[in-house]
Amino acid sequence: MELFFQTLLNGLLQSGLYALVASGLALAVGVVGIVNFAHGEFLMIGAFLAWALSTFLGVDPLVSLPFAALAVFGVGALTYRVSIRHVLLAPELNQMLLTFGLGILLQNLALIWLGGNTRTVTTPYQGSSLSLGELSVGGPKAVAFGLAVLILVALYGVLYRTTLGRQMRAVAQNRRGSQLIGIDVDRVYLLAFGLSCALAAVAGVLVATLLFASPTVGLVFALKAFAIIVMAGLGNLTGVLWASVVLGVSEALVQTYVPGGGGWSDAVFFLLIFVTLVYRSYRGAR
Amino acid sequence: MTVMAASSQLPAASQRDVVLWAEGLSKRFGGLLAVQNVSFSQYDGEILAVIGPNGAGKTTLLNLLSGVYRPSSGRLHLLGRDVTAEPMEARCHAGLGRAFQIVRPFPEMTVHENVTVGALFGKPGVSLAQARERAYDLLERTGLAAHADKEAHELTLLQDKRLEVARALATGPRVLLLDEVMAGLRPGEAQEAVELVRSVRDSGVSVLFIEHIMPVVRDLADRVVVMDQGQVIAEGTYHEVTANPQVVAAYLGTEEGLHA
Amino acid sequence: MEGRALDGSRAVVRRPDVPLRSLLPLGLFFLLALAFPFLPLGERAEYLMQIAFFTLVAGVLALSWDILARSGQVSLAHAAFYGLGAYGFALLGKVMPWFLAMPAAALLAGLISLVLGAVTMRLSGMYFAIATLAFTEVVRTIIQNLPEGAAGGANGLLVPALLGGNARAQYFLAFGILLLTALVSLAIRRSRLHHAFAAIRQGEETARVLGVSVVKYKLLAFFISSVLAALGGVLYAGKTFFINPLETFSLANSIAPLTTSIFGGLYTTLGPILGATVLRVAEEVLHNAIKNGYLVVYGLVLMLSILWLPRGLMGLLRRGKRGGDV
Repeated sequence: MELFFQTLLNGLLQSGLYALVASGLALAVGVVGIVNFAHGEFLMIGAFLAWALSTFLGVDPLVSLPFAALAVFGVGALTYRVSIRHVLLAPELNQMLLTFGLGILLQNLALIWLGGNTRTVTTPYQGSSLSLGELSVGGPKAVAFGLAVLILVALYGVLYRTTLGRQMRAVAQNRRGSQLIGIDVDRVYLLAFGLSCALAAVAGVLVATLLFASPTVGLVFALKAFAIIVMAGLGNLTGVLWASVVLGVSEALVQTYVPGGGGWSDAVFFLLIFVTLVYRSYRGAR
Repeated sequence: MTVMAASSQLPAASQRDVVLWAEGLSKRFGGLLAVQNVSFSQYDGEILAVIGPNGAGKTTLLNLLSGVYRPSSGRLHLLGRDVTAEPMEARCHAGLGRAFQIVRPFPEMTVHENVTVGALFGKPGVSLAQARERAYDLLERTGLAAHADKEAHELTLLQDKRLEVARALATGPRVLLLDEVMAGLRPGEAQEAVELVRSVRDSGVSVLFIEHIMPVVRDLADRVVVMDQGQVIAEGTYHEVTANPQVVAAYLGTEEGLHA
Repeated sequence: MEGRALDGSRAVVRRPDVPLRSLLPLGLFFLLALAFPFLPLGERAEYLMQIAFFTLVAGVLALSWDILARSGQVSLAHAAFYGLGAYGFALLGKVMPWFLAMPAAALLAGLISLVLGAVTMRLSGMYFAIATLAFTEVVRTIIQNLPEGAAGGANGLLVPALLGGNARAQYFLAFGILLLTALVSLAIRRSRLHHAFAAIRQGEETARVLGVSVVKYKLLAFFISSVLAALGGVLYAGKTFFINPLETFSLANSIAPLTTSIFGGLYTTLGPILGATVLRVAEEVLHNAIKNGYLVVYGLVLMLSILWLPRGLMGLLRRGKRGGDV
């Protein structure tokens, strides 16, 4: 029983990180209408920024977090300006392939520049752990989860309590109408896409503390984020939260209870994608 | 005489053959009953109009007939065969053709290629060469032969509608469903379209069409089915249904007059 | 096109789908490819032959991907079928001669593709792409996690060398497979499959209303495409002696055919082959200059093609002309 609760707890902690990555992706999908296949690469940039600031300047990742967010926000906004913006009216396929190309480009630029090695970040709380009764939690995991929750609360606060957030949600629901009531849709897109990338970067910083930074670290997180937003329904921001928990907990259960589960848990997201997509497409069958 | 809501009995055998028989069709979307217990039959060689105010459920009915939607209840018989559970392509093979209200040409194909698709797949066992020939025949019949090599987006709206009809005819239907083919046409063009529909019928194809423009209904329809709020409220000749107080009331309740 | 029928002429009915003249560049490519091993390649002959071999494989992969794309299914699962071909060959090659193991591995991949095709049948656009991408990852995970005795696990697997490792014979085998792929592609172009695929791609519901059996043709596209991709995988495995899950099922193997086809010209036979030649050589040049990240060329080319070259190289070659996609 203790093992079971420990498993649930691990899954829940993991889902905080997932929710962070997926919220960013859902923001791009929901507001801008772009499925960003390069989302994982923005996460990768965040992870490398954390590593670089920590290694060369000795800055703690938690301190570098806002800088990474800001920098990647800028990269995202620039990306929007020079590429995404030009395919907003193009067929969905072109949008998808464009971001796909961007992902490959960024990943390989990182490979050229930094090589394929993984790089780890050391933090003072690395080895620490918290215990909750019988259960225990690794320090970095707890910190990451706490931060993820904090940022998500802030994100939803922005979306539901500020003018910009309301504008974003208005654009998400009705592009045309938003234009008519005087919302500068282009500006909202720019900010939403930038914010989406910044969220990925924040997740990247946390990934650097939990795992490592490497050029390809983003892919698996992006795939899982896809699974989550597919489960939640494309662009559904609130659905992202429970879908993240479903993914995190199912992975943890597989890890604990399936023999050799460590290797298999990477396939859980695929199963969830499939079951959801197939269920949805057949239920939607008219 | 006006029949209030068609009976669900198959009409007497003394009459002409029934090609299409809807038996209590209903379609529910969530809490909304878009089509409710609709029954009617269409006879061989008949031009049947389905009219009704906006939101009466006409297009939903057409989607039920062509197989875009499955009915929540009820059955559909085509040429004496129950096709309720059959998908769109099987209904096409069984002899049901459909032209869409908003034309949907294949954008990267020429006019001739568009029609070839219908001729090639509408019935099993047609070779590519046969389909090409047949497609060209249909282009001639619908007055599009001169545009065979153009891409669909180069056509005028009337030509696009002709293409839509030609493509549906290419599948070799016994019953052709037309969804507001007159919409957006100028009066002169509408007259041409009316002639086209007549010639289709004269070639032995029964036509069921949805229409808003009442003079077109008057000119074309042998019989009219009137729908309101998802139900059939009247059925009969044009003059019978337009004299029906319930039909008049249904139209008066809306902004569009009956004689719009 | 040359020989375009005068408006209103019945000639449109009998005009060939693939005008002979447009086959010329394709024939030229194959002639050059056939002559390549006999050219005086000098000291670097071995290296050049190897590049040429993998260019042919890249052509097989790209053209087979394009065949699937013609039916509107833009797949990110090509690496899976390439890899299944490679693994199928490695495992079957232990129990049967290579000329049986090769088609058997391809058939196996083709059958598995029917499962994926059936499951993704109703998905389109990004949903389809995400599902196929995930499928590849899972096939890799499965192979990686099977007991080492079964498929080599994460470490990989030794493969019996194709044709005793004779580079020239291997090259001609690859040439034959690419020729086969091109002939299949042309045959499709001239058959009812072309009309079915194009109709499904350009309007699935309309196609169904016109009687196109969408399920059948989508699965057929998946099967043909995967069998050919798997043959490409067999060539890869037989040439490299050694395969492992990470490299064989690498996302790069899904990206390359997609980028190549888009860059060369979608829905054509010559385009993907041409694209493969250009990109593969570019990749090789870059690979010599930098060790890591030479795939950057695919990212860049994909982005630039989407933004500025919507019809690919073929669009440049045939600017202002229409139809007759070869």
